[in-house]
Amino acid sequence: MKKIGLFYSHSTVKTAQIARKILQEFSDEEVEAVNLDEAWDDDFNKFDNFILGTATWFDGELPDHWDEIIPKINTIKFRGKKVAIFGLGDQKNYPDNFVDGIGLLAKVFEEIGAQIVGYTSTEGYTYGHSVAERDGQFCGLAIDFENQSRKSNERVKSWVEQLRREFA
Amino acid sequence: MKKYDILTTDKETLRKWYSLLTLGRAIDDKAPVYLIQSLGWSYHAPYAGHDGIQLAIGQVFEKGVDYFFPYYRDMLSVLSAGMSVEEILMNGLSKAGDLSSGGRHMSNHFAKLEWNIETVSSATASQNVHAVGVARAMVYYGQKGVAITSHGDSSASEGYVYEAINGASNERLPVIFVIQDNGYGISVPKKDQTANRKAANNFSGFKNLKIIHCNGRDVFDSMNAMTEAKQWAIENQSPVIVQANCVRIGSHSNSDKHTLYRDENELKYVKAADPLYKFRRMLLRYNRFTEEELLEIEAESKKTLSAANKKVIAMPDPDPATILDHVLPEAYEPKVYTDGTHHQDGEKTNLVTAINETLKAEFRHNPDTFLWGQDVANKDKGGVFNVTKGMQQEFGEKRIFNAPIAEEYIVGTANGMSRFDPKIKVVIEGAEFADYFWPAMNQYVECTHELWRSDGRFVPNVLLRLASGGYIGGGLYHSQNIEGALTTLPGARIVYPSFADDAAGLLRTAMRTKGFTVFMEPKALYNATEAATFIPEDFEVPFGKARIRKQGEDLTLVTYGNTTHLSLAAALQLSNEGYSVEVIDIRSLIPLDKDTIFESIKKTGKALIVHEDKVFSGFGAEIAATIGTEIFQYLDAPVQRVGSTFTPVGFHPKLEKAILPDTQRIYEAAKKLIEF
Repeated sequence: MKKIGLFYSHSTVKTAQIARKILQEFSDEEVEAVNLDEAWDDDFNKFDNFILGTATWFDGELPDHWDEIIPKINTIKFRGKKVAIFGLGDQKNYPDNFVDGIGLLAKVFEEIGAQIVGYTSTEGYTYGHSVAERDGQFCGLAIDFENQSRKSNERVKSWVEQLRREFA
Repeated sequence: MKKYDILTTDKETLRKWYSLLTLGRAIDDKAPVYLIQSLGWSYHAPYAGHDGIQLAIGQVFEKGVDYFFPYYRDMLSVLSAGMSVEEILMNGLSKAGDLSSGGRHMSNHFAKLEWNIETVSSATASQNVHAVGVARAMVYYGQKGVAITSHGDSSASEGYVYEAINGASNERLPVIFVIQDNGYGISVPKKDQTANRKAANNFSGFKNLKIIHCNGRDVFDSMNAMTEAKQWAIENQSPVIVQANCVRIGSHSNSDKHTLYRDENELKYVKAADPLYKFRRMLLRYNRFTEEELLEIEAESKKTLSAANKKVIAMPDPDPATILDHVLPEAYEPKVYTDGTHHQDGEKTNLVTAINETLKAEFRHNPDTFLWGQDVANKDKGGVFNVTKGMQQEFGEKRIFNAPIAEEYIVGTANGMSRFDPKIKVVIEGAEFADYFWPAMNQYVECTHELWRSDGRFVPNVLLRLASGGYIGGGLYHSQNIEGALTTLPGARIVYPSFADDAAGLLRTAMRTKGFTVFMEPKALYNATEAATFIPEDFEVPFGKARIRKQGEDLTLVTYGNTTHLSLAAALQLSNEGYSVEVIDIRSLIPLDKDTIFESIKKTGKALIVHEDKVFSGFGAEIAATIGTEIFQYLDAPVQRVGSTFTPVGFHPKLEKAILPDTQRIYEAAKKLIEF
């Protein structure tokens, strides 16, 4: 398996916490963490496999740290590269935008040729609408710290095993 | 469509934007300091967090072509549209030179009418119907632009927002409704406003309407959204909603303390989402500007603000001696019938025909006249009482048309349409019956405020017709007299004729007078024989000129509307008994002809006020108080009043008769007063 670039903003709290769990599940040889706040095209060009972490801001927006780098990302060729996305959401308080960030990021990377991997089941979640939902699955891993924090470890673990297969 | 992004937008444009953003933010931050220093700006609603969308609104607005109706948080929008820092500070500090109102209106209500940046109410989103009205005029007169109106997400809960969007959708008008969504209405979170997190989506079923969502904190996304909205609205001649997601970094205003309802975590993350810093980071990250270049722009902004501050602080405050200026615009002065009377005789015309024929004559006289209302134009029907019969056939569907059952929309779009050009005169049937006018009261207040609030710069050129009063067995909702509520609001002329010739004369004068006039029509008299008169051609009645309908020596009876005829009948009865009663039909409530009333009372020494409305708090109370205050020494008896009981008007004929004044009651009161 080629080395995976794990991109997330190091200035975040919850996203960073999940990123650290993911890092723990992989070996150092398998994954390299990249701080999105300082990332540029060279950092993306280094990898063929990606794990991206994002929250969903407000009523279904990408956080600024993603929004600001998208114009640059749009200039990078991602054809043949695989991208997996994990996202944080709150089913109870923001049921209409649950983990929208995953869906928004997936769209950005698909448009520049990437293949989205790491789909997960929507079973076990209760929400109204999500941009991340496709044919009954999330196009990434949905983590709900606020309402299902006890399930986070298991979900991460299972997702990492799935990614090992899909990135292979 | 031009697409803006950080990579390709030219450097000069980016420089201009950053300069506006930093200058705007410097003013936004400075405004509360003036209050602390007791220099003014006691109301400031900070815009920080709305930077992207407000920059974009101003950038797409074309002076003198488009119309912009900003709300009180739109400071960056107007700066971006071209208003100078001095002009903004003059408003903030309520200086005499303030272009919006000369210090009369609250601070943070920016306007510059010469560019079509319009004066608006503090009742946010009330201006939406004005935007629709002006867009109607733009389409009629072929002006290729848009009307932009802007407000927060909470205001979208207002019924008048629905009315405006529904109307623009139905009439296919190029209006851009910008919803600047910061998640709060003062302290009320959006979850308490509506079920949809995005208020714009509540309107997703509307036909001919495009909804664009954008990140109002992002300059590029906002620019692209507003550019697309404008282009689409013009090309399709249809409305657009732009829902811009923003954050409110500060409190609602300087009278609000948001720490009472927002926790530290929230305050931290809204601050982290500051649009200005995001734009700055991007300029640096994409190597479009160096740190030094940005610091230079920031320093320049501070310098500009400092220079404007020094200049504006020294400017004069408004002069309290001017408070009575611009309550009403100048009235048209009749040329022939200067006192509004005639002594000619001939074939009689009834009241409804008098109004109908005068309207038609005035619409022929002035091609920039329009009329709309509920039920006013469908084939042979012209209003519930046929007052506008035949007008659509003669003047066409563009000038005479039905309005939706939305009274606020009817009045508000009239206000808006008359903003396009002072030559426009709009006649509206405010409601099918005066009783149904209440939903429009917000716009009524607007119409009365405009001239004074704008320090004489704008007055809605609107004639509001209302079929009023009872005596038709109509019950609670077809019998109301609402003039008592209307006359308390300065800024409207209010007339209430009771004879056909006076109706024709007052209507002609109102049609030729600039400003806002209320024309109350006693509907029980539309076809009444006693109200029919001969009407001289081009008869005119000046405002504020009462008519003595019967001369007398023993008692002055002051009346108007339906009770003029009842009073005349009572006077005739008394005359048969040897008493001489002078009956004055005031015709105009505002302005009131005090001279004629006073002259009569000086002669008779006694005054009886008669009207159909309730005695308690009816307009007669004002007349009685005026007499008591100003000519008490001429009175030989207390001023008496006759009117309806302090109840609604009952439906059963026996109830209606018990409630409304009649000839017998007037006769008895008059006789008692004469014999006092």
